[in-house]
Amino acid sequence: MSMMRASGVKDAMTATSVPPTASLMRWVIAATLPGIATMSYFFGLGVISNVVIAAVFGVALEAAVLWLRKRPIRVTLNDSSALLTGVLLGASLPPASPWWLIGVGMIAAIVVAKQLYGGLGHNPFNPAMVGYALLLVSFPTYMTLWAPPQALIPNGLWAQIAGTLPTAQLDSLSGATPLDAFKHKGEAVLASEFWATNPLPDGTLSAWRWVALAWLAGGVLLLVKRVISWHIPIAMLGSVLLLATLFYLSDPSHFASPLFHLLTGATLFGAFFIATDPVSAATSQRGKLIYGAGIGALIIIIRTVGGYPDAVAFAVLLMNLCVPLLDLYSVPRPTGHPNTSSGERP
Amino acid sequence: MSNAYDFPGGIYPPERKQRSNRSALTEAPLPSRVILTLQQHSGQAATPCVAPGDTVKVGSVIAKREGMISSDLHASISGMVSEVNATQISIEGDGQDEWLRLPPLAWQYVEPHALLERLNDSGIVGLGGAGFPTHIKARVVERHAINTLVINAAECEPYITVDDLTLRHHANEVLEGAQIIAKLCGAQHIIIGIEDNKPEAIEALKHALSNSQPISIELKVIATRYPSGGERQLIKRLLNLNVPSGGLPADVGVLCHNPGTLLAILHAVRDGQPLVSRVVTLTGEAISQPGNRWVRLGTSVRELLEQAGLNTPELHQVIQGGPMMGTPLLTLDAPVTKLTNCLIAATIEELPPPPAESPCIRCGECESVCPVALLPQQLHWYARAQDDAKLERYHLFDCIECGACSYVCPSHIPLVVDYREAKSRLRLQRIETAKAEHAKHRFEFRQARLAREEAEKQARKEARQAQQRRPSNTIAASSEKVDLRGLRIAHAAAKASVKKAEKTLARVAQEDPKQSLDDFEMQLATAQENLKAAELQLAQAREQQSSEESS
Ligand code: SF4
Ligand code: SF4
Repeated sequence: MSMMRASGVKDAMTATSVPPTASLMRWVIAATLPGIATMSYFFGLGVISNVVIAAVFGVALEAAVLWLRKRPIRVTLNDSSALLTGVLLGASLPPASPWWLIGVGMIAAIVVAKQLYGGLGHNPFNPAMVGYALLLVSFPTYMTLWAPPQALIPNGLWAQIAGTLPTAQLDSLSGATPLDAFKHKGEAVLASEFWATNPLPDGTLSAWRWVALAWLAGGVLLLVKRVISWHIPIAMLGSVLLLATLFYLSDPSHFASPLFHLLTGATLFGAFFIATDPVSAATSQRGKLIYGAGIGALIIIIRTVGGYPDAVAFAVLLMNLCVPLLDLYSVPRPTGHPNTSSGERP
Repeated sequence: MSNAYDFPGGIYPPERKQRSNRSALTEAPLPSRVILTLQQHSGQAATPCVAPGDTVKVGSVIAKREGMISSDLHASISGMVSEVNATQISIEGDGQDEWLRLPPLAWQYVEPHALLERLNDSGIVGLGGAGFPTHIKARVVERHAINTLVINAAECEPYITVDDLTLRHHANEVLEGAQIIAKLCGAQHIIIGIEDNKPEAIEALKHALSNSQPISIELKVIATRYPSGGERQLIKRLLNLNVPSGGLPADVGVLCHNPGTLLAILHAVRDGQPLVSRVVTLTGEAISQPGNRWVRLGTSVRELLEQAGLNTPELHQVIQGGPMMGTPLLTLDAPVTKLTNCLIAATIEELPPPPAESPCIRCGECESVCPVALLPQQLHWYARAQDDAKLERYHLFDCIECGACSYVCPSHIPLVVDYREAKSRLRLQRIETAKAEHAKHRFEFRQARLAREEAEKQARKEARQAQQRRPSNTIAASSEKVDLRGLRIAHAAAKASVKKAEKTLARVAQEDPKQSLDDFEMQLATAQENLKAAELQLAQAREQQSSEESS
């Protein structure tokens, strides 16, 4: 037999059940459309211009780096992964962010987090979240101010191109997200009192809920189309709900309700579009469950105990750090190996 | 993870069996020339025992087995040997088809060793694809109690319909072959595993079951899923037993045979007919008369395909074996061997070249279909990085190379190719590290051979002296007190080490058929030389003693 099984043989039959990698990426992009559309309905065209600018940056930067690295450009761009990174980062930023802010974020995402590590498949960190975290740490004022809902044609589009902040957003209260507002209500204020003051502009909470549901719809599409597996989102949402419930039950007057955690901020977006980036996630099914649950737990911990109002980016990046360890310790037991050898030592 | 009676993962590729299973099994025309390669089985190549110009009949032995894991080779047509070289023997046919058969055996009445000898003399090897010599496999009972014989008729790979057609036409005989093996290895149960996509074969088996004697045979129809036909996977599905990693089915009391092999066994025993032909599936869109044929070994693939209406301009590639695990043939002039179960003459639309590979995105699709519950994505990563420690840790050698992972990979990575390369690299490394050991074994072998020759010389000398001495009994002989007891012990020990060497060799050969067996064969040969020397010495001492007593 040895002579017959010569190496260098191409396998003769190829897949039909799962879409190929390039179309996996395109499916994810398509599934962001409901979320992006709903966001722009509530927060204005600044969302769409964000996404477009970020996507253009993504493709241009990837092409530039590939050119410098003397790699094939067209074939690689064809996998649409740079485009996807741009869409995801663009959708995470406050509407009508200055163009240079987006540019800095995309450089961090594509050049540093992705290409310097060797390109698609080799990046240990989620590129979009690296860009997001860098911006959040370096430009906190720009990153935490959201225009109030209903400004469909923002006066900020010009400001975006000019590279400054739209004046309307400088009013800090009107520019807060619900998570932000809740975070800064102050220790002394009870949750019920806080909500009674009607702290957010009209419609803010329901706008965020609609957006969250739109992301959920996109996520379900991805699950149905088998573009992503259920392990990470379910584990992540499960642990968010579980921990938030524990906190809430321990002191409902201070902690936000589980539903608040689920439907505001980037929880659902993160569960279906960020945490599921397969390249930077744990790879085995068992590892994915732990990975997802870890992200969920970190989100709640950072939101309630930590210093940042939202936490999806940091939670994802922290769990990215743990992936090598998870991969090492979540090796399934192959058939024919006795039970005792499971989780073998390295 | 692994449910009772099932293995994890698995895929459902298009079956494409209808192309070849709709016409009856027929004989291919007698070829006018055959080329028989010396390596048609796992283990060592056979050694030619004919020379150009010799005339042979169908069934004449033309090459003898070499070492323990090897197999005899027989002429598949009658005629004249035209060429013998290092790798193959060619025979020009005389068109007479004259046979040389061994005497028929009534398997119910003959001793097991006679059956074993017949399997050996008939050159029977596993016809499912691995080509392991059947007489060695049957000797497994010397080391393991066998409880169940499994007839592996799952035939899960697309395109292939050899077992299907063999069973439709020869169900009774296949079952009789199974009875022979069951008798030989003491199995109490026989169970047939077959996928539900072969209703005609199942029907034929149901009819045949009632006639089968003496062990009653159980038929288990399983849902079609690739790779149910993997030995371990089938054993799991039929018997819910896990063959241990690195082990053999015999470790859980099971022996597996494929229907074609069982039929060949029956022909060898009942009809005295050595293995000179086999059933081959001819299929693919580039031939107009697909189907299954009885083909003489050594027939050229080109000839076969042309007889089946080959459309050469349409032909893209010919694959030997199935599309999942088979290999493309590099030349159509290759001959059919004992291992050729299927030839797919494919058009380019039918089996297009795989699209360009893109990077692994670690999606885990491969993991969810792996029937061994490995992490193919990690194996891929470490195979490319040549990180051997990690490859062992992720159980590379548990991979059965089924190709399910490559099949689903959205990045079109030829994963199995990576694994095969990594495995052969690691095998080479193992040989390298064992080189010193190997040299030592070679030295030991030479010593043993010299000792045996010395013993022979001594024996001849003694015999001469004894003849001269006989008239007047000398005191010299009796003064040299013969240590008969010590020699007897040495003889028993030598016998035991032969057995042990055989056992090791048989095991290693079955565990990893692609491993080089040279070193183990050498150790066996050493033990055999030692045994011969001990036998001679013992015989000599006995002689001496008896001559002393008689005087
Ligand atoms: S299926 Fe392919 S791309 Fe996905 S993890 Fe496995 S090897 Fe990587
Ligand atoms: S080829 Fe190996 S790794 Fe891939 S699915 Fe089959 S057994 Fe698993």
